[in-house]
Amino acid sequence: MLYRATHTTTYRYPQPVSTSVNEARLTPRELPSQRVRSSAILVTPEPASMATRTDYFGNIVTTLSVFEPHDQLTVTATSVIDVLPRQEWLGMSASWEETRDMLSSQATDECLAAYEYLCDSPFVSRASDLADYARPTFTRGRPLLDAARELTARIKSEFRYEPRSTTIDTPVATVLEKRAGVCQDFAHVMIGALRSLGLAARYVSGYLRSGADYQGSEASHAWVAVFVPNSGWVQFDPTNNMIPSEGHVIIGWGRDYGDVTPLKGITLGGGEETVTVDVRVRPLSE
Amino acid sequence: MSDGTLKFDRRQTPPWTYTREQGHWDEAVRPSGLPRRHWRQLASALAKMGAREFDQHWRNGQQLIETNGITFNVYDDPQGRERPWPMDPIPMVIDDGDWAFIEKAVVQRATLLNAMLGDLYGPQNLIKNRHLPPAVLYANPHFLRPCAGIVPPGGVHLHAYAVDLARSPDGWWWVLADRTQAPSGMGYALENRLVTARTIPQIFSQCKVRQLTRYFQTLRDALLGIAPGNKMSPRAVILTPGPHNETYFEHAFLARHYNFPLAESADLTVREDRVYLKTLAGLEPVDLILRRQDDSFCDPLELRGDSMLGVPGLVQVARRGNVAITNALGSGLMQTPVHMAFLPGLCRHLLGEDLRMPSVATWWCGHDEPRRYVLDHLQDLVIKPAFPRYDRRATFGATMDKASLSSLRAEIEAHPEQFVAQEKIALSTAPCWVNEQGPAPRHVVLRVFAAWDGQSYSVMPGGLTRVATSTSSLVVSLQMGGGSKDTWVRGNVEDLPTPPVLRLARNTAASIRKGSDLSSRAADNLYWLGRYAERVESNVRLVRVMLPALSGEEDFGRSVSLETGIRLLVAFRHLPKEILQISFNEQRRQMERLLNDMVYDATRTGGLSWNLKQVRRAAWQLKERLSADTWRVLQQLETDLSRSAPTRTDQRLVAQLDLLDSAILTLSAFAGLVMENTTRGPGWGFLDIGRRIERALQMGQFLRHGLTRTDLSLEALEAMLQFADSSITYRTRYMTELRADLVLDLLLTDESNPRSLGFQLATLSDHVQKLPERDDSHSRYPLEQRLALKALTAVRLAKVEELAAAVNTSGLRDELSRLLDGIQSDILDLSEALTAKYLTHLTPSRLISSL
Repeated sequence: MLYRATHTTTYRYPQPVSTSVNEARLTPRELPSQRVRSSAILVTPEPASMATRTDYFGNIVTTLSVFEPHDQLTVTATSVIDVLPRQEWLGMSASWEETRDMLSSQATDECLAAYEYLCDSPFVSRASDLADYARPTFTRGRPLLDAARELTARIKSEFRYEPRSTTIDTPVATVLEKRAGVCQDFAHVMIGALRSLGLAARYVSGYLRSGADYQGSEASHAWVAVFVPNSGWVQFDPTNNMIPSEGHVIIGWGRDYGDVTPLKGITLGGGEETVTVDVRVRPLSE
Repeated sequence: MSDGTLKFDRRQTPPWTYTREQGHWDEAVRPSGLPRRHWRQLASALAKMGAREFDQHWRNGQQLIETNGITFNVYDDPQGRERPWPMDPIPMVIDDGDWAFIEKAVVQRATLLNAMLGDLYGPQNLIKNRHLPPAVLYANPHFLRPCAGIVPPGGVHLHAYAVDLARSPDGWWWVLADRTQAPSGMGYALENRLVTARTIPQIFSQCKVRQLTRYFQTLRDALLGIAPGNKMSPRAVILTPGPHNETYFEHAFLARHYNFPLAESADLTVREDRVYLKTLAGLEPVDLILRRQDDSFCDPLELRGDSMLGVPGLVQVARRGNVAITNALGSGLMQTPVHMAFLPGLCRHLLGEDLRMPSVATWWCGHDEPRRYVLDHLQDLVIKPAFPRYDRRATFGATMDKASLSSLRAEIEAHPEQFVAQEKIALSTAPCWVNEQGPAPRHVVLRVFAAWDGQSYSVMPGGLTRVATSTSSLVVSLQMGGGSKDTWVRGNVEDLPTPPVLRLARNTAASIRKGSDLSSRAADNLYWLGRYAERVESNVRLVRVMLPALSGEEDFGRSVSLETGIRLLVAFRHLPKEILQISFNEQRRQMERLLNDMVYDATRTGGLSWNLKQVRRAAWQLKERLSADTWRVLQQLETDLSRSAPTRTDQRLVAQLDLLDSAILTLSAFAGLVMENTTRGPGWGFLDIGRRIERALQMGQFLRHGLTRTDLSLEALEAMLQFADSSITYRTRYMTELRADLVLDLLLTDESNPRSLGFQLATLSDHVQKLPERDDSHSRYPLEQRLALKALTAVRLAKVEELAAAVNTSGLRDELSRLLDGIQSDILDLSEALTAKYLTHLTPSRLISSL
């Protein structure tokens, strides 16, 4: 499926900002499951410098600096991406305990490489209450994929999707307690629960096609990938209780939100800003 | 003599005795009670000197510490003030053989840690080939992912390394901790050396102690050598978190020693993948940053977003290879104790040799077998976070009760990879000067420093010996109130002469004149130092003029009467108008309280001690730029003014006058030092601009309130003259009674009187013309020049007779008021224009993230 994704972020400041230095992770990665036909980032006012590099996780980062005084900054990222159909069939997988033990002993090089996503990260630390939440699903000997599928469904049904009920800094523990949040929070809860059981999970940042009856399509979206020995990383979207496929465009991944923040910046001056974000992902006919 | 007691002396009184502590290695004395071979010379020299004389010498040494302003900030000091550097006068002496071993071991360890940094921030083969468990790296918050893949200049990550060593009861040396982030202490080590060399100069030279200065030279040259671009004269800065940092003294010390400007994050800015210093002359590219702040605080964009410190975009500049940062960003990784558990194997793997000096036995709980051992021996071990965090300290199993032991056990079982356990080492002892009776043993830890010299690592021949507070204390920490010692390594070989300097820092004569070496922040501090010093002086003068009014003695019209004093203080708005209606005695009481508060009340904004605190704050931020003499004078001023009010009211007046008189003298010394000992560059310019602006404002206020009213008596004119220190000039020049027009002539227009408004404006106008020009100004006469000229011209065109005569119906000299108001507002605009153009604006920066 071919999409055009347009992601516009606008900062408005009550006082002029003299300097603004930003990092954008808004360019989708080239992957076996998706081809990036074109991609561009437009900034007003015109940045004094703009450069692109690949980060530690292989994501594409654009740094952009504005040095002229401005009271509004607009960053528009536009990409045309061809998302290839993925196998939605979840095959047999090893039991979750077997996976846990393989990770803990780094039984294969693949397990060793996945180990980074088992460790605590700034936004998601392992905790006993997260493990307790997952445990009813992770029964003895249950295949990992089967259990992960159920965990995805449980988060969808047991948590309320409530925009503005949390901020970026709301700890996972609070989300777990309030049983409410947005897609970032649900992804963090699921990652935390999996890590607390000794499994490796990562945070995927991207878009959801607009129009469909999904939650999270009006902004950038986030979901989870779970490490499965011999299969690699299998994705789950706890916000919508689904296995991402043709409707999900991947921008990049990391240990948690902090590694793939779509846009972050340091400003000098400005005062309390207001931010508006607009995301549109429209199918294109060839 | 087998009780371990050493009698230092047989003839003199009082004799020195030193009893070593059982169960520990003593650095100076053998179990037999005889001094060790390498201590013999020092011990007998000290014995010859005798305790009393030694104590006398040490008092001089302490004086030196005080006057040189050698300090160490303690974070939790409620006063927020820096403390004198805690030092012990008896040096620590290290045996040549021991030193040769230590030197080799430290070089090996620095080489090893550097190689590990190169791998972990590069290909990570140590992880891939399973030499190091992945959690050790990936769970470590000190592993800074944005720095992965950055190859620092020459491939060297670790340029400055320090290591804490301890000696166990059997005499073996052990590594307690590695310092790879921004190791501190070498400046203090050098200061300790300077103090001992001056405290006991003869003993020092007899003992042929190896010099430290050459090490600093090596380090400086090597650092300049790694700056990118192969420039002949790279520009280097020392990046400091600021004056509140515990080791700020050392940052300032290094800045002065190396002749590199001291910069805070806000003084640096990134443009087009290059980092620049904001100077008076504009942005100057920086090639080398000696960072004295933790790496995670260096770039709020890519590293810690919650950091108010840091230069946004700095990591990218390093990634592009456009700046050398020492130690490389990310080097803090190796100071996490978790690595110690793996060093022996890694040393064989990476360097092909055995680790020369063992680390204190370390068990990482992330592995099953060591964890079981740790849980079985909790009482005997020190438990530490594997990856140090600010909110966690080491815990000693031996001192914990059952409940806390079991909760620690549970924590370890829940997050095993987060913990290491280390063996407790019974630290060695060395003689310390605890009181004038003589020495006593105290536990010591030796910090040794190594620096990349371009080929390998050079070790500073000496170090910083740190001392525990009491015999029983095993914790050696300066944060917790321990002390330090000079450390002597004896030289068999003559030290080579200092090699010629190959590279020069960019502090060329031309750049200094141009102001491209003066950061905007330093200029800002100089400006405020000038302003506050002047404000203090004006406070002092005002109170001094007013005080005699309280004595009730008529002094043939030479001093102010109570009535005039009250009227002036009302005019200056120090006292409310209503005071004029109340009884004489009540007026007197109120005035007395006011003057007393102005001098002694530290909480009174704008009072003497408040202003003095501002002087001190500005001076402290300029530590590296002020001469030792200037610093001493400022210390003196503080001592002068920190005396508390006498409890007996009848003594108060005399005490106050005495205090103010000595403060005036000290302030004059400060002004004189600045005037006579400072090169007339932009730095001096800003200091003097600050002084002139403040004096102009104060004098303007004085004239505005005192001379625009005609209802004030002649005494008021006398008070004005006294305040302006111009009383004698008036008398000798005019030889007549006090007249408003003549007082105006002297205090407003006379440009030869250094206290007059005219003099301040003429000087200001001169200063602003000499300031470095910015490329971005378009006007022929920049704003600050126009403002200074405008105010000066207004004064020059003024006719004092007319101004004095122009009295309106309410008895006010309204033309004079208008003139003074106009000048006042021009001066305030001038101050703003200078700030906007040259001085730092510190608008807080914030991190914004979006979805």
